[in-house]
Amino acid sequence: MTRPSEPLQTDILCVGAGVASLSTALALLRAHKKSGGDRLAPRVVILEKSRAIGNHVLSGSVIDPSAFDGLLDEEEIRRLPYEASVTSEAFCFLLDARRSFSIPWVPKMMRAHGYPIGSLTKLTRYLAMLCEAQGAEIYCGFAAAEWIEDESGRITGVRTGPRGLDREAKPKSNFAPPEEIHARAVVLGEGACGHLTERLIDRCKLHARRPQSYALGIKEVIEMPDDPDRAGGILHTFGHPADTRTYGGGFIYHVSATQTMLGYAYGLDYSRPETDPHELFRRFKTHPAIARQIEGGKAVAYGAKVIPEGGLFSVPELATDGALIVGDGGGLLDSLRIKGIHMAMQSGRFAGEALAAAWLADDFSRDRLSAYGKALRASPVWTQLERVRNVRAPFSKHTVFGLAAAGAAWATRGALPWWMVRMEPDHAAMRPPRPGRALRTEATVETTPLNPDRLTDVFMSGTIHDEDQPCHLHILDRKTCEECIERFDAPCQRFCPAEVYRLEDGHIHIDFSNCLHCKTCQIKDPYANIEWTPPQGGDGPRYTRM
Amino acid sequence: MHIAVCVKQVPDTANVRIDPETNTLMREGVESIINPYDEYALEQALRLRDSCGARVTALTMGPPQAAVILREAMARGADGAVLLSDRAFAGADTWATSYVIAQAIKKLKPKVDLVLFGKQAIDGDTAQVGPGVSEFLKYPLLTYARDLQVAADGRYTAETLMDDGVEVIEGELPAVITVVKESAAPRFAPLAGWMATRGGEIPSWGVKQLKAVPDLCGLQGSPTRVVKIFAPPVKSGGTRMDGRVQPAAAVEAIVTLLSRKGVVS
Repeated sequence: MTRPSEPLQTDILCVGAGVASLSTALALLRAHKKSGGDRLAPRVVILEKSRAIGNHVLSGSVIDPSAFDGLLDEEEIRRLPYEASVTSEAFCFLLDARRSFSIPWVPKMMRAHGYPIGSLTKLTRYLAMLCEAQGAEIYCGFAAAEWIEDESGRITGVRTGPRGLDREAKPKSNFAPPEEIHARAVVLGEGACGHLTERLIDRCKLHARRPQSYALGIKEVIEMPDDPDRAGGILHTFGHPADTRTYGGGFIYHVSATQTMLGYAYGLDYSRPETDPHELFRRFKTHPAIARQIEGGKAVAYGAKVIPEGGLFSVPELATDGALIVGDGGGLLDSLRIKGIHMAMQSGRFAGEALAAAWLADDFSRDRLSAYGKALRASPVWTQLERVRNVRAPFSKHTVFGLAAAGAAWATRGALPWWMVRMEPDHAAMRPPRPGRALRTEATVETTPLNPDRLTDVFMSGTIHDEDQPCHLHILDRKTCEECIERFDAPCQRFCPAEVYRLEDGHIHIDFSNCLHCKTCQIKDPYANIEWTPPQGGDGPRYTRM
Repeated sequence: MHIAVCVKQVPDTANVRIDPETNTLMREGVESIINPYDEYALEQALRLRDSCGARVTALTMGPPQAAVILREAMARGADGAVLLSDRAFAGADTWATSYVIAQAIKKLKPKVDLVLFGKQAIDGDTAQVGPGVSEFLKYPLLTYARDLQVAADGRYTAETLMDDGVEVIEGELPAVITVVKESAAPRFAPLAGWMATRGGEIPSWGVKQLKAVPDLCGLQGSPTRVVKIFAPPVKSGGTRMDGRVQPAAAVEAIVTLLSRKGVVS
């Protein structure tokens, strides 16, 4: 049953069917149609590790409509699967657990009036449909485990992960071996902290000037009592329950009369090992300014992912021989507004146009593909990245510095501060607790249908992994792990938003089937001692309305 | 040998909820999948094909978008597929569904020797369509099979799962057999399989192609009616033992509780 197979062939291969990859495919096929002449259109294959399109995407989401520029026509924009656009917005500073302060006006840089709001899963499915209509092929349930390169170091394809291995990595009766697919160019659209992307950046020395900084974003979908007047209202918060040295903020988007998106993002450069982002999320929900917004609601879906917040200084080189990086994986995100969808889609657009030209020239070298980076640098995406390039970093020192930097950037259109504010990698930011300080913070928030505990949340994410497979989370060195338990009281049991890591009898146990593929553990383990690898294709969360 | 495998597209029940006010399925966010039991039937068919050579045809009755599960069946290795789709089939109960599927099996060439079903679909849970098709085809019926071997002379040996044990049954084809999930794990569809099925047309048969009697199809061919759908009352109460802090104490408490109720001694 396990016949060794010939490598599969395509022209362009995209890894990950998120909005960045899909925009790349769409722009490429359309650009080719426009200027390709008689030349045959390239075959475009998109691999997606989740079971169905959109199952692993997560965002707020309020979309900056510049996302669609040059990608979708008016009719396609009109048919976007959104139920509402922003009609009223507010910005709120939560002073402490009870008090809040509404900013009387929303700063212009943050304004979102008229922007479409809704589910990223739906948008992703819509884009996938447009791509398929152009001839792109999307295959779900296939994780790209490794890339393939030739002797010169050119990327020539990927190898999918094996399926049907048992927990000892021995083949089961339905074992399906890895498959190779070769392509002229590989587009990495894996999302933040991508499995291949991060390794490729190391391998090809594509490093940015500053390591990437992430936030962990946690989100719930709340089902609300019917009220058409609510739809279109959005609220952003900062302050409580984050401390003054951590960039943390929340959002509430009333996307329809009966559905509200609620989320909380917390900078992973926090220093206290006792921090529990999920508990902070729950505390956030009990703040009167927030609780009032979701009164009578019930949490029905849950998810988490990391957000690349490093900004301009953390954007790596985006092209190498035979490969391109698009979207979140390339750190393309406005770290003031925490908006990345428009940048992901626009990066896809420029990548697609560069690929169309490369296809005509029959040249996928780094030099040729660098046209993508050039176009991106000349676009509004880059202007935005430059404007807020130093807004995120000062927040790690103190909220006051952060606000000052944001103000300075706003007043001078990004000219100030002109230097690169330094940031250390997230995992290095963790400090051992001060002696005598209690490490564990007990859950203080009451569990209700509106504010469920972490395991109930995990259940609502729909995540599922075949448990008889090798664990996809690797503790690189058990000795270091023991040291971390001793020194930091195993922060993995708290920073994981899915309760994957459990301390029992002095050892860390990994319940990998809870995993939401958010990568927080790989980013925040203080010793960088955890490696995330893709599990069996098709496994993972099943977001259907994120 | 020609094997027909009947598959059904069903909502992923892991996510299905019923609206407490209207008693209808809440479809928001619910995905469609291939009925899990049917995957085991398909696996049995593919194993027979691998071991003794056969042609495997996948069949489904449903709206045009149900073709996606036929592609999945072909990606896993089925040689062909037919979609049974017609507005006239809408609203069919198990009787009318069985009639249409039997008509399609009669039309398949070469003559079908073996028809495989999953033991039931996870949406309706009736387990009636397999038996219904066997009646319409006048093929002998065997249910709850977990293993199946066919010899060169067309005699088969099947193990079927009963409440109190396993029966080993020998018979002669043709037959209709329903398969349980205590059989070989379904294979994964390889990427090569998916890429190969792309582009190929899947034939779609309606009332005309099947030469079916319209009065026997769909809602009008259905002798049963759904009078009411309701969610069973939500169970209340119950005791929750949190084993995360002191697992040993929680186990102790559960054992005490169960022995007091006489469940264990």
